[in-house]
Amino acid sequence: MPGEAGTAAAPAATGGETAEQTQAQTNGKPTVAVKIYAPFRIYYEGAAYSISAINATGPFDILPRHHNFLCLLMPCDIIVHTPQGVKIVRITRALMHVKADKVTVFVDI
Amino acid sequence: MRRPQEIASEEQSMRTIVSLTSAFESMSSMKIMQTKGRVLISNQFFDEVWNIYKQIRVDVLFNFGRQEGETAIDKELLILITAPGGLNGDIDQRLIRKVRERYDPEKNDIIVIGHHGAMQLEQVHIKYEKFFDLPKSDNINTDPLVAEIRKYARSRVFYQNYISLSEQDIRDLDLGEVVSRMGKIAEEESDPEERITERTYIFEPSPFAVAAHLETSILRLTLAQFIFDSRLAQLASRFRAMSAAKDRSDEVAKDLHTQFNRSKRLMVDTRLKESLAGLKKIRAGNA
Repeated sequence: MPGEAGTAAAPAATGGETAEQTQAQTNGKPTVAVKIYAPFRIYYEGAAYSISAINATGPFDILPRHHNFLCLLMPCDIIVHTPQGVKIVRITRALMHVKADKVTVFVDI
Repeated sequence: MRRPQEIASEEQSMRTIVSLTSAFESMSSMKIMQTKGRVLISNQFFDEVWNIYKQIRVDVLFNFGRQEGETAIDKELLILITAPGGLNGDIDQRLIRKVRERYDPEKNDIIVIGHHGAMQLEQVHIKYEKFFDLPKSDNINTDPLVAEIRKYARSRVFYQNYISLSEQDIRDLDLGEVVSRMGKIAEEESDPEERITERTYIFEPSPFAVAAHLETSILRLTLAQFIFDSRLAQLASRFRAMSAAKDRSDEVAKDLHTQFNRSKRLMVDTRLKESLAGLKKIRAGNA
């Protein structure tokens, strides 16, 4: 859903280091480290170009160098654009935490 | 002396008990390994959620996810986590004993998780408000329990704690204290720069909504942790009970086997004596 209305706050570099020094890349494209998991199941763990979901405000995307972000997700399909293809995870209740190009989605909490 | 056939039949029964207890022992051991692995995985998840929660705490007063102005019953709710059935050794009896030391019908209400605990309470004529079955699957839905907890001003959990295969403890903890104590430690230890604030983070829908949701989540996860810990302790207690029962029944079976041999020899000896006596009589008659 990149470019859709309701996209989250603009990405911004954080920390003292430059983005060039810290940015993870796959196939020359910047990525974020994603982990989507519940207490007894890991739905996805690995690199991703972007991750899309829905919160109370609407649909949004997380791209590399996103600002620190903590949000409650609405029941939706989380779409992860990975170097291997698109991965979809259906959730009913989850919390998303984004910090320093690491996206963690805690499912069923 | 009993007849050898009687003893042999009793020995056979005892051997069956040895086989049964041995099977229960093996099953418990297998389940302990599985549950231990599950507990470790869930602990990792819990730690990560907790790590976020402790950084966005604005105060250390845990209020069970109650809304402002929501009044609570001025009683302490006692939550008992017990086994779903018997054959778990004395672990549930120990828990009930500990509950009885604290229980005052004027000050406490009780919720029981696990059928065995409910039965034990009925035996000692203690009334409970609600009963929940101990969940069999890993996905524990603690929402109905959380809804009950929210009604009360204070809540205390009595649960079984796994220390080792040979040692299980009964513990009771105030739910609010558990969370706020951990929060205080976290506040002292955490780096102010690492704290999650409106200055450093974007919140959706709002910082308060996220914190309130996490508070309930932490409560759910804490309860699930207690249930898992109790499940592990119950399995270990069952393993211990079954090991002891197997050893005892094996000893009894060996003892019965010795009795059987003695009884058989005695029977042979008696018959021999009778034959010899008969022979002597015949010889005496012939002479």
